[in-house]
Amino acid sequence: MRKRTKSWLIPTLIFSLLFAACTPVSQENPEPGKDLAKSEIVVAVVTEPDSLDVHKTSSIGEATEHLYATLFERSESGEIVPGLVKDYQVADGGKEITFNLKENKVFHSGKPINAEAVKKSFERFLEKSPFKTNAGSISNIEVLGENSFKITWSEPYAPFFSNATSAYLAPLDVSTLDAQGEGFDKNASAGGQLQLTEVKRGDSVVYKPFEKADWGAKGTPGFSKVTFRFIPDDETRILEFKKGSVNVLLDVPFQYIEELEKEPGVELVKVPDYVMNYLGWNNKLPIFQDVRVRQAIALAVDRDPIIQTALRGAAKPVFGPLPDVVNGHNPAIEEKARKKYAQDKEKAKQLLAEAGWTEKNGEGIVMKDGKPFSVEMWVQNEPVMQRVAQILQHQLREVGIDIRITVKESAAIIEQTPKGGHQMLLWSYGWFDADILYFLLFGKGKSTRLHYEVDELDALLQKGRIEMDPNARYKIYEEAQNFLVEQSPWVPLFVRESVTATRGLKNFKKHPISNRIIWDDVEIVE
Amino acid sequence: MGVTLIGVSLLVFMMLHLIPGDPVRYILGDFATPESIADLESRLGLDKPLPMQYLHYMAGVFQGDLGTSFVTGYSVMEEISNRFPITAQLAVYSILFGSIFGILIGVIAAMKQNTIFDQLVMVISLIGISAPSFWIALFLILLFAYHLGFFPISGYKGFYSLILPSITLGLGTAGNIARMTRSSMLEVIKQDYIRTAQAKGANLYRLIVQHSLQNAMIPVTTLIGLQFGALMAGAVVTETVFALPGMGSLIVSAIATRDIPTVQGLILFMAFLFIVVNLLVDLIYTKLDPRIRYE
Repeated sequence: MRKRTKSWLIPTLIFSLLFAACTPVSQENPEPGKDLAKSEIVVAVVTEPDSLDVHKTSSIGEATEHLYATLFERSESGEIVPGLVKDYQVADGGKEITFNLKENKVFHSGKPINAEAVKKSFERFLEKSPFKTNAGSISNIEVLGENSFKITWSEPYAPFFSNATSAYLAPLDVSTLDAQGEGFDKNASAGGQLQLTEVKRGDSVVYKPFEKADWGAKGTPGFSKVTFRFIPDDETRILEFKKGSVNVLLDVPFQYIEELEKEPGVELVKVPDYVMNYLGWNNKLPIFQDVRVRQAIALAVDRDPIIQTALRGAAKPVFGPLPDVVNGHNPAIEEKARKKYAQDKEKAKQLLAEAGWTEKNGEGIVMKDGKPFSVEMWVQNEPVMQRVAQILQHQLREVGIDIRITVKESAAIIEQTPKGGHQMLLWSYGWFDADILYFLLFGKGKSTRLHYEVDELDALLQKGRIEMDPNARYKIYEEAQNFLVEQSPWVPLFVRESVTATRGLKNFKKHPISNRIIWDDVEIVE
Repeated sequence: MGVTLIGVSLLVFMMLHLIPGDPVRYILGDFATPESIADLESRLGLDKPLPMQYLHYMAGVFQGDLGTSFVTGYSVMEEISNRFPITAQLAVYSILFGSIFGILIGVIAAMKQNTIFDQLVMVISLIGISAPSFWIALFLILLFAYHLGFFPISGYKGFYSLILPSITLGLGTAGNIARMTRSSMLEVIKQDYIRTAQAKGANLYRLIVQHSLQNAMIPVTTLIGLQFGALMAGAVVTETVFALPGMGSLIVSAIATRDIPTVQGLILFMAFLFIVVNLLVDLIYTKLDPRIRYE
């Protein structure tokens, strides 16, 4: 009996010890509370990138984009300036552009970033990338010399320069890939300031500074390792930062901003985001056909309580179609929209009445032809946006519009909105160029969220795509934005303030336009 | 086992295609055009009829290929092999903690029935079962990792970093096991043979361990098997709070992105593990009770 009793205990203990012994020791076990290595910067991010391969993903973030050197860059005032491209010549009305690369630039593999390498990268991009339509309708890429290549488009594509400031169009070293053109994660080679050293799926991505990259005036990096750790839970991320295990905390949750501001040794860096959050609706529905209804909704909204309550003040109200960091933003139009759509509940009610919503039911909801103005608003399962939805629900109720909030997964919203399955939604869009008004919001066949396609507007936006003269282009978008402000097919709400907390670092900056970390001068403080 | 796994695979396949959300539109994001959608659907094989997609997938499964992630491009087998050891360790340590602690307090509660200790055990086990795992996790992190600094707050850094997550999961398991052990022991110690052993002068150890516990363990073993199977499926909330790169956190992100091959592969693998664990439990029965034999 005694032997039998123990006989099942022993295998269990052995089994568990085996597991402990099988622990892959791929990382040293730091003692709790131990300081970081003095040359390592640890950055806490919420989500792991889908892929480090920029040709295989439609979303890139801080954990990915520093791997790449872009063809063009943005100055801190927003101008497009040379990146890997030194200069360029436009010909044939913009259908042909010859690019001259800077010399002596190399990939992480040591191979030169020359015209041939850029061409091969582009070819792979055009084959695989979800972003390929945002390079324009490229018909040919020709190598003219060691560092010179020409791209030919079937029609001019003005947004190319703006789009080329993003990592989506950045070259990667195709020569390190396998025969199928895959395996970038295992053999990553691009031209960015950070060189990939290790990928631990679900845990972290580790980089080292690429010494042959451009480190600005200083010339050399102030650190020897950067680890991006993926910590999805807000509270856990905050605790890691407060304990000192993490130097950089990206996207500080709003409820912790005040607390971290008071924490000794912590610096907060605040930069406005380029992503616009808006209240939109399916403009094909009869209820939204009347411009007076759309304007009434816009007039019912007060952005201040939304920003102060849901976002703890960490956002900036926007009235016009484009945030101020976006190429094509027009301050005069923003001011015009602000004056036109400053909250005015009485005017909103008046407009609704003029549009035929003259009756009211017992709950104060306006009615027309016996039907109440009651719509469903979709919002993604993010607590902040759900709070925004609740505030909007209250504000619209005050003018007699009933909103029923439905929380949906992002994947479901992305699938169902192009089919017109929605009535209203709280969503966002973000890009660096006014062309977003075409390719995402209002272009013919492309208005998948707002379903607002008007010939006059489409013509303007298409013209903006092919106009190569920046001043003329600006005028075109001014006219388009004026049209949108008048027609109000959606209500722009706010751009969030991206708040980053740092400790133990010196000269940490984020780019005021692109919101990227500027690694050039970052140093670790002793 | 084969029939069960085929049934599971079919059910998961159907559910993934019924729920709203399209992996192609998710991958393409805001840059989706009708042409790029059609192109990607073709490349991923999603333009084929559903029965063909299923048969193609199962043909791969029978050859040991669980497919390639739509979103990340990694092979599903590779993802599982990277993450399974972490989830498995977490499950084993949680079960060990839960079982040992649960059985111990369950036995003592049964022996001290209707005393204050018995009541205390019932209350503690109820708290263990009822308290949300994220709350327990944050409490343990705050106290033992942040303030006292005994353990890392998050991330996988070997055995040491799995102690708090194991306790988080193990407390719920311990609660269930304690209650089951107590009630099972109470049934056994009322039996005539226990009274006989006691009358014959058996000491407490002999009475509990040799005569009572082994007989009380059959329902407890069933419960441990079920708990273990559930833990192997990936403790989603615990892995998220502790930022552990296990199967639970992978399945959450795969579902959110509608990464069909990854979800299918993971659920199939988890179903397989569940079956294996329950098979082991059935085998253990024969050790606990020699009267049980399988043909």
